[in-house]
Amino acid sequence: MNSDSNVKEKQSTENTNNQEQGKTKEYTIELKNITKRFGDDVAVDNLSLQMGKGTITMLIGPSGCGKTTTMKMINRLVALDEGEIKLDGTSVYEIDEVQLRRTIGYVIQEIGLFPHFTVFDNIATVPRLLKWDESKIKKRVEELLDMVTLDSSYAYRYPLQLSGGERQRVGLARALGADPEVLLMDEPFGAIDPINRLKLHDSFLEIQEEIKKSIVFVTHDINEAIKLGDKIAILKDGKLVQYANSTEILYNPANKFVENLLGQDRSLKALTLKRTKDFISSEEIVTVSEDTSEDNVSKLLQEKNQIVAFVLDKDNKLMGRYWLEKTRKEKFEINYDESPILTEQNNTLNESLSTMFSSGEKLLPVVNRRNKFMGVIRLGHIFEEFNK
Amino acid sequence: MNLFQYISENFNTIMELLVEHFFLFFFSLIITTIIGVALSIIATEEGREKIGKTILSITGAAQAVPSIAVIALVFIYVGIGKTPTIISLIIYSLVPILFNATSGILSVPKEVIEAGKGMGFTKQQILWKLKIPIAIPVIMGGIRSAATIIVGTAVIASVIGGGGLGDLIYTGLKLNRPEALVAGAASSALLAIIVDQILAYIEKLITPKGLTVTR
Repeated sequence: MNSDSNVKEKQSTENTNNQEQGKTKEYTIELKNITKRFGDDVAVDNLSLQMGKGTITMLIGPSGCGKTTTMKMINRLVALDEGEIKLDGTSVYEIDEVQLRRTIGYVIQEIGLFPHFTVFDNIATVPRLLKWDESKIKKRVEELLDMVTLDSSYAYRYPLQLSGGERQRVGLARALGADPEVLLMDEPFGAIDPINRLKLHDSFLEIQEEIKKSIVFVTHDINEAIKLGDKIAILKDGKLVQYANSTEILYNPANKFVENLLGQDRSLKALTLKRTKDFISSEEIVTVSEDTSEDNVSKLLQEKNQIVAFVLDKDNKLMGRYWLEKTRKEKFEINYDESPILTEQNNTLNESLSTMFSSGEKLLPVVNRRNKFMGVIRLGHIFEEFNK
Repeated sequence: MNLFQYISENFNTIMELLVEHFFLFFFSLIITTIIGVALSIIATEEGREKIGKTILSITGAAQAVPSIAVIALVFIYVGIGKTPTIISLIIYSLVPILFNATSGILSVPKEVIEAGKGMGFTKQQILWKLKIPIAIPVIMGGIRSAATIIVGTAVIASVIGGGGLGDLIYTGLKLNRPEALVAGAASSALLAIIVDQILAYIEKLITPKGLTVTR
């Protein structure tokens, strides 16, 4: 383990040296003029793409545009006809295909959890193929379950006993099993209902902040691409139409095709570029502990001239919300709400705004994926920021 | 003479025939299972799914062929005795095993296989760690119907000299002794039930737990 990470460190310092010396930059994943034909059909046509280390690259386009084929050529599930694919500078054809796949995480839309394996065994799949020590595997599985916010009691359940969202989390944990540098994800959230998909997006981004993998992510949902992608590669008929970051694509679409893909509401979509966490404020927020009595909360709020107080437990997790209501006779009545409407820090601004509009709240508490209270966002504050 | 008297007087003969019947059944089932599952594995390998599907339609239709026709054909080409009997039992019971094992392996979700392949399972690992365990309930279903079929068909196969409980039944028929006929038929039915129960237990034992859990 140690020697491995040393090697990686060495490589990355070499990479930065190269960059400093103005030499060609090393990319984690490099596709050079790749072409794939199925019979007479050209699925991927002379495509070149370079993907940076620790970034999420979205491949998007209409069905049949070659996005999945492109991705599957990276782990050699599909053989390429022409061109070259390099991982960290080494051609994937220099490595045995089975060994290669064990070093690349892989998540597919239908997840494909092994139904006869427990959650533990599913996540332990690649470490076991690599013949890790059982005690090391156990530690790793626990770590991964925690990362995808499933508690350890899930380890001995079977896939049939999980909900769609839970299966997806296990699928991600399984792909991360042996801590691969590269992760391939083929519409991993495609089969999940919209509400849970948003939640999974948020935890996925939070997890990526921790693990910083090089991720290739295939999707057909432009909103997903804008929300998750560091860079977006738009494909049509096996050719690259535009390859840029989301801002660039939203404000400078390369052609009519990209414009159509983005849809009419481009300026609203631009809101998805902003994250809720960039608008968090903690000014003038009243928080109380779980054992504070209603009367004390009421007094505190009136003193501070506020109407909302958030209840946090000792780990700063959001437990509930008090709010004052004015009754007719200039008197206040205190109300308690066990599961307040909230938003997650990695939600895009338009998701949080949408929650505000649908609930009629001008102020929302913001939490992270472990339900820890991070602050609040205010409607007025957001407008002020945009007017600046 | 009533049935019980017949049984008690001929108990040793019946037992001998039962044991003979059991061994006919046992060897046939083992061999047919090995051949059937092996053929299914070969026919369902990646890229050969078409062969697998062809097998499904052929075996599906072949289930309608009467057992006596198979026995007669083997008699014509191989002759009489224990070996032709076992051969005809193997051929006739191959159909349900081949059908079930092939459809069981083909129905393993393709995303499970793709995930396995994408994570670096070798071909052998995909077969033994994914396809076979997931297909076990269906394969066992085929083995169970084959077992019942063999026990029943072995009775008929005694016309080509296979021995077993069929002898008892034919004797009863020829000598017009219904007790012999009933004793033979009942023991063979009993054998079929016991064998099926044992196989059901084995099926329960080797079916992976994850396939049967409910939420």
